[in-house]
Amino acid sequence: MFITVTNSLLEGFWVSFKIFGFTLFFALPLGLLISFGSMSRFKVLRFPTKIFVWIIRGTPLMLQLITIYYGPGLVGKWAASLGVSNFFINWLATWSVMDRFNAVIIAFIINYACYFSEIFRGGIESIPRGQYEAGQVLGMTKTQIFFKVVLLQVLKRIIPPMSNEIITLVKDTSLARTIAVYEIIWSAQEFIKSKGLLWPLFYTAAFYLLFCGLLTILFNYIEKKLDYFKG
Amino acid sequence: MALLEVKGICKNFGRTEVLKGIDFSLEKGEVLAIIGSSGSGKTTLLRCLNFLEYADEGTISVNGNILFDGALPEKKNLADIRNKRLHFGLVFQSFNLFPQYNCLDNVTLALKLQKKLSQEEIKERGLRLLDRVGLSDKIENYPCQLSGGQQQRVAIARALALSPDVLCFDEPTSALDPELTGEVLKVIRGLKGQDSTMIVVTHEMEFAKNVADKVIFMADGVIAEMGTPEDVFDRPKNPKTAAFLNKSLESF
Repeated sequence: MFITVTNSLLEGFWVSFKIFGFTLFFALPLGLLISFGSMSRFKVLRFPTKIFVWIIRGTPLMLQLITIYYGPGLVGKWAASLGVSNFFINWLATWSVMDRFNAVIIAFIINYACYFSEIFRGGIESIPRGQYEAGQVLGMTKTQIFFKVVLLQVLKRIIPPMSNEIITLVKDTSLARTIAVYEIIWSAQEFIKSKGLLWPLFYTAAFYLLFCGLLTILFNYIEKKLDYFKG
Repeated sequence: MALLEVKGICKNFGRTEVLKGIDFSLEKGEVLAIIGSSGSGKTTLLRCLNFLEYADEGTISVNGNILFDGALPEKKNLADIRNKRLHFGLVFQSFNLFPQYNCLDNVTLALKLQKKLSQEEIKERGLRLLDRVGLSDKIENYPCQLSGGQQQRVAIARALALSPDVLCFDEPTSALDPELTGEVLKVIRGLKGQDSTMIVVTHEMEFAKNVADKVIFMADGVIAEMGTPEDVFDRPKNPKTAAFLNKSLESF
């Protein structure tokens, strides 16, 4: 029985891991982009970005999942019921409910990108102006200053809050269950329904703990690696 | 012809007039010391020369070429400004070394990014400059492993790497204790006569008196007095200069 449960949970955990991996891979660069938006000198860019971050951080991820999953279908139905026929409305009417897994990935990427963007912003804004000025008087371009001077210092500063957020992401993957994506919690609950077994649910904790433990070790390693300089 | 010619520089921050028409010129190899109380505009003047701020009015010329003209609308073309900045070097009060690079890389980073010289030439120049500031034994050290005085010497080597026409120092020793101040001032004095043209904003009156060829006393955004160290320190014409020097040289 233990082997059967373990195998089944591993299958579920693989889905959780995929959500984790995809989210991290896309949300990190997107988050950097959003942080540039919210630090922009141009109000037309800064203001909408801040509003967007406010909405995403101000609503539950679970609600965002549901919106992304059902939203397109609702728009399609609404467009079809209008009785109007033009290119745009006809196109909207073809919208239908999204693939469950894709909906999860999209919702997670958007949600986490917004949180990451604030961490990036904090990191970038904490770098003293003198570092930029030192680069400027040496004739460096803005891009060179960002990549050659500022970025590594930002990275060092944001490792602790980043590791916090990334470890939260590991456990947030369980929210995918709300739109019936077969991740580890869902696969454990299957055993309650089919066999009346509760323990597989508690057993899932071991998977989370192990994975978060590995991440903690990884982040400690990176922190140590960046210990050679201060600033 | 003067190497550096500054005419009618004015700078406002909002309604505060920080510089109200600064004129001076500097010959090649000369050392200019700028003294004056805090808030008199000394630092702003250096920042205008290095294009960290843009003057509202006035012109800055090097070797007879006008680099900056406050009257021209296109004064903020970035690529253009970057090239013009290379005429000037700046050493900051707070060093501003790049913490993640060792001493040699701090000195050579800008050269590497310029890609005008080969790797060997760049390294050779870096080593030579660190030797010149007396830090040949600290090449591999990171800024956090150095004393403040050593950090400032690395910063001087870094500013020299691009061979600027005019090297500016913004209160280079204000963040250092007296002992470390001495070692940094010695390095600056050592640069004199090696064809380095320098502008030093400083509160070290002895240094200004003994090293500078020309001294400017600034007060409230104008040059209140300008002349040789002997003129300014021993025979000040402006009562403000006399009052400032009295306070600065006051013994306790």
